[in-house]
Amino acid sequence: MNANEVIESYINDVAVLLPRKQRNDVAFELRALLGEELQGRAEAAGRAADAPMALELLQGFGRPRDMAARYRSPLTIIDPADGRSFLRAASIGMALIWAAGLLELLQRPADAAGGLLGALAQWWTGAVVASLWWPGLLVVGYGLACWIRQRRPQAPEWVPRKSDRIYGGRVALVMAIFGMAAGIFLLVHPHWILDTAFGGRAAPAAYQALTYTDGFLRFQAPCLLLLLLLNIPLFVAVLLKGHWSTGLRGLQIGLSVIMCAMLAWIVFDGPVMMTARSDQTAKSLVMLIVVITLVDMGIKLYRRVSPAPR
Amino acid sequence: MHSMVCHMVNTDIFAKLELELRRGVVVLAALSQLRTPRYGYELRQSLADKGMPIEEGTLYPLLRRLETQGLLKSEWKVEDGSPRRYYALNADGRKLLKKLTESWQGMNEAVSRLTNEEG
Repeated sequence: MNANEVIESYINDVAVLLPRKQRNDVAFELRALLGEELQGRAEAAGRAADAPMALELLQGFGRPRDMAARYRSPLTIIDPADGRSFLRAASIGMALIWAAGLLELLQRPADAAGGLLGALAQWWTGAVVASLWWPGLLVVGYGLACWIRQRRPQAPEWVPRKSDRIYGGRVALVMAIFGMAAGIFLLVHPHWILDTAFGGRAAPAAYQALTYTDGFLRFQAPCLLLLLLLNIPLFVAVLLKGHWSTGLRGLQIGLSVIMCAMLAWIVFDGPVMMTARSDQTAKSLVMLIVVITLVDMGIKLYRRVSPAPR
Repeated sequence: MHSMVCHMVNTDIFAKLELELRRGVVVLAALSQLRTPRYGYELRQSLADKGMPIEEGTLYPLLRRLETQGLLKSEWKVEDGSPRRYYALNADGRKLLKKLTESWQGMNEAVSRLTNEEG
């Protein structure tokens, strides 16, 4: 290749990456500019321009992809301010999907998976590859947020918030207290739903499914009821105070920890409900509550800020 | 060994920070030389002669971007047998250059005062 051919190749590789309407014009200008640059170098070197000289010149311009990118305004899909939170959300979400897939695989009978390699292949396609929907969804979400911010930079203004505020305000707290009382009522009288929905004519199997075992009622149920009831005066105290004081927050954390331990005990101890299916469903729900509570506490602990010199 | 690593790190940091400083003034430098029409290669030579060398790969696309942003006007002219695209400030470009120059002078004076302070 001679110097001109090297330059033509570079121009072509740059121009093809540009929008069609400016492609030919930029290519024409770039050819003229590169020609003059090369001529200047040749004169400075005191010899005719050749392919190595042209290559050296083009290396200074950068790769065609980089050069083409400079002709257009930078395109930001995810706001740099969101970069780390995107990475964290993507990593945690994918790790959870992979773990859930692995858990599901471990629960299957050993021979159903077709050996270890078969199981791993199923996990790879069913969980790892399939999990890519999550970062894709995040890119769309973060991309939309970035686009909105660029179009309306004044819209999401920062407002100061007190760290001990009641989330959702007093109305939300009152609703939470009523919801909690209703939940406790349903836990104490599980047949009430059947009586209300079917006028007391539901199938006996349904009543049996929603009946607690004697073992559960003897000791675990009173303890659980006591712990649940303790939440009501705590929330009422917050409502009267108008904010979460340090003491009330400490009480809530302590109560949550005891509640998690109590619920874990219930899950791993004997049956809670009279039928196997309803017992399994109830324990799955209880386990979910424990996991959500622990994750919530973990996030709060991780996000806690205590200004102090290092 | 430790001092060599420190030297490499410092050189790297310096290069990055200097690049950031240069990025901030490249537009102002280029606009300042486009009060009269110039083509890319001529503009680069003019800037280099005045102590502001700008890489070819940075300057030529910049001219197109400034034109797209409505700050420059351009036209093809044939001189000495070679067609060249000449760029010059338009009315908006001249206004922007004035404002940027005032802003730069203010910053330059402030930074001069700050860096000349005896610690």
